[in-house]
Amino acid sequence: MWRLVVGLVVLGLCLPALGQIPKDTLVIGARTGIIVDFDPARIYEVFTAFVAEQFYEQLVDFERGDFTKIEPGIAESWEVSEDGLTWTFHIRKGVKFHSGNELTADDVVYSLRRSLALNFHPIWILAQYVPDPDMIQKIDDYTVAITTTEPVAELTIASVLGFQGICSIVDSELVKAHATPEDPWANEWLKEHDAGSGPFKLVRWVREEIIILERFDDYWEGPASIKRIIIKDIPDPAAQKLALDKGDIDIAWDLLPEQVDMYRDAAGFKVVETPAWGITYVAMNAGKPPFDNELVRDAIRWAIDYDAIIYGIMKGAAIPGQTFIPKGMFGHLPETPYHKDIERAKKLLTAAGYPEGFEVELLTTDRPDRVAIATQIQADLAELGIKVNIRQMVGAQFYELYRAQKHTFLVAGWGADYADPDALAKPFAHCCTTGPEAKVRQLAWRNMYVDCDTSILVEQAARELDATKREQMYFEIQRRVLDKGPYAILYYPLRQIVMRDVVKGFHLAHMEYYTELWEVSKTG
Amino acid sequence: MVLVVWGVVTITFFVARVIPADPVAAILGPQAPQEAIERERARWGFDKPLYVQYARYISGLLHGDLGVSLRTRRPVLEDIKQFFPATVELGLAALIIGVVLGIGVGVISAVRNGSLVDHASRVFAIVGLSMPAFWLGLLLLLIFYHTLGWLPGPGRLPYWYPLPPRITGLLLIDSIIAKDWFALKSFLQHLILPAFTLGWLSTASIARITRSSMLEVMHEEYIKTARMKGLRESVVIMKHAFRNALLPIVTVVGIRIAYMLEGAVLTETVFAWPGLGRYATQSFLSIDFNAVVGVALFMALLYSFCNLAVDLLYAYLNPKIRYV
Repeated sequence: MWRLVVGLVVLGLCLPALGQIPKDTLVIGARTGIIVDFDPARIYEVFTAFVAEQFYEQLVDFERGDFTKIEPGIAESWEVSEDGLTWTFHIRKGVKFHSGNELTADDVVYSLRRSLALNFHPIWILAQYVPDPDMIQKIDDYTVAITTTEPVAELTIASVLGFQGICSIVDSELVKAHATPEDPWANEWLKEHDAGSGPFKLVRWVREEIIILERFDDYWEGPASIKRIIIKDIPDPAAQKLALDKGDIDIAWDLLPEQVDMYRDAAGFKVVETPAWGITYVAMNAGKPPFDNELVRDAIRWAIDYDAIIYGIMKGAAIPGQTFIPKGMFGHLPETPYHKDIERAKKLLTAAGYPEGFEVELLTTDRPDRVAIATQIQADLAELGIKVNIRQMVGAQFYELYRAQKHTFLVAGWGADYADPDALAKPFAHCCTTGPEAKVRQLAWRNMYVDCDTSILVEQAARELDATKREQMYFEIQRRVLDKGPYAILYYPLRQIVMRDVVKGFHLAHMEYYTELWEVSKTG
Repeated sequence: MVLVVWGVVTITFFVARVIPADPVAAILGPQAPQEAIERERARWGFDKPLYVQYARYISGLLHGDLGVSLRTRRPVLEDIKQFFPATVELGLAALIIGVVLGIGVGVISAVRNGSLVDHASRVFAIVGLSMPAFWLGLLLLLIFYHTLGWLPGPGRLPYWYPLPPRITGLLLIDSIIAKDWFALKSFLQHLILPAFTLGWLSTASIARITRSSMLEVMHEEYIKTARMKGLRESVVIMKHAFRNALLPIVTVVGIRIAYMLEGAVLTETVFAWPGLGRYATQSFLSIDFNAVVGVALFMALLYSFCNLAVDLLYAYLNPKIRYV
């Protein structure tokens, strides 16, 4: 036994260096622990959606790099009825699933109804407009009609139906073949298998170890350049960096900002970055003193050193932004009026009745960047005489308090769920009552910021079919929240990914999960 | 043992649930609407009183059901089955390194008491005991993988190489069954750095206990007698001294086995080793109730079996010890 063990160890030690990544294989190092499963009805995490984006498709898509321009997906064209309630989609002919079955209207109807029936938590994105399975009807083999509860702007319905997950189209024949009486929607089977029509097939997933995708040669847009994609679980960013340096991976997905900086001018590597359609903000509970006073909230906004946070703490992994619709999204209001002006902040605080300041607890999760931001804010507000006590806690505990409106002051982040301003206007600006009966119980509600006029405007904007009018409505909503809201928006985070320069054609989408690898190729 | 296991399950069950955080909210993320969280809470039965949840859990446990993980949505037992083999491979390799090096260093240190070798081996042991695993792991990766390029980086196989079909979950065995010799060779190479990282920590404690135990035995009368009989020094040390010094060493090795098999969290994280330690950490961080209790139960069983094995080994090593 001992001889065997020693022999094996010696064998291991004596072996020559291992091979290099084949040219037709793309290797991504990433944290994959977030992935729960690949059933489209349940996909919600960004990274899971990014992986699923490679093998599932939806009715509509967006132009590369421009989420204001809708492109055909599985549907090659569509039209809306005069009353703005019924959307008719014409399905592209000849689209094949990975099984070889042809994609038809039956699959579209089955997929959307399946998501509604399973009723997993992401379903709210579809159900807010299409709550009833009967609202999805087959007209003929290549035509589907979807009715909404109220008129919805084209961009909104496209963002919802283009959502990776609940609106992905599955191969109904294949899924039904794996259904059982206990599991009529084959949820168990779809957790680890793919029934899609995208450019790659899911061939293997070993949880928290490896995901292997292989090219689907019959993809309707033509086969991808890369034959195989391997996504390897490397949870530690330092280990991802080592692997990238050694050429053992092509792309490092989760490097820290200071690690990304090391590659700015490094030969053989490139940094790809884009605003991530997220918002990092300070929230002030408008239902509790002292933040129930509008002047205090304004004083805080004028006291924060935004540049110190963006360039000092985030080290360039963020761009300035103070409105809740981020840069690149339809309706973004490019206004950044706030900067550090202690004199002005002091005057506002005095006018609010707090000339000597006050003491307040600032909550943050234990993420290092958030803790550093909290410390910066503590220092900034000390100049106003405000004593800030920082309280760190794990995310689960933090969000428990936040959801229950039990906080006073905190630092947090938010991201767009779908590619439409409605996905941000509702959370940030819709609150007409602070009770549990509220229609939307997200950020404005958690921060007890009641503004019924703005809430009505948010609903009207979602329904507005004229794009120009709609944009003006979002500008107005953002201005109101910017001036009087319960937030000090600090920045928009940048999503940064580092890769070897042999990787070509990689485009990182604002919404990470829209990043497609179909056009990616390698030169070495 | 039944009492110990019941105690561990009960304490873990209630401690996990008194934490002021909602696991469903943690799993669904900060953006999930309140209604979705409430619906999901009901789906998992977390809206029921604690005693009902406990009764349900114990009833399931008696039928061999550890529940379903909130995070992976799979039966906890299935998750443990998936992650434990990788930990076994790493743990056993580390144990071999730990025992061979630890006993070797300890014996030499005791025999050459007070010499330069003794001092050097004590420094080796102290460094091993005090060095954080994640730091040691990164340092080894930096030297042997990044700078020298002698050994491969994190993971069990090259990143671009697909795993052989899973049969036992033990990559060593699976690659032999699949006759995938490249995977076998590569796996052995990948095993060296994490096994050494984890093994060094054990080397340190085993070396220290071996040294002190050997020093104690070396002063016994029967050692002097053996020497006076003219026996070779190597025979005196290995046959007379070492054998009698073994009992405390076996105790430490027993504890280290359990420690290594429960999964050394930091080593597994740095080396992207898909073992039980990482699974446990992820479960704790996401307050995955069922997984936390399931892993605690599994570890309690593991420790109990290791202790039992050590006790039985005592009787073998020292005939004076008899269990009635």
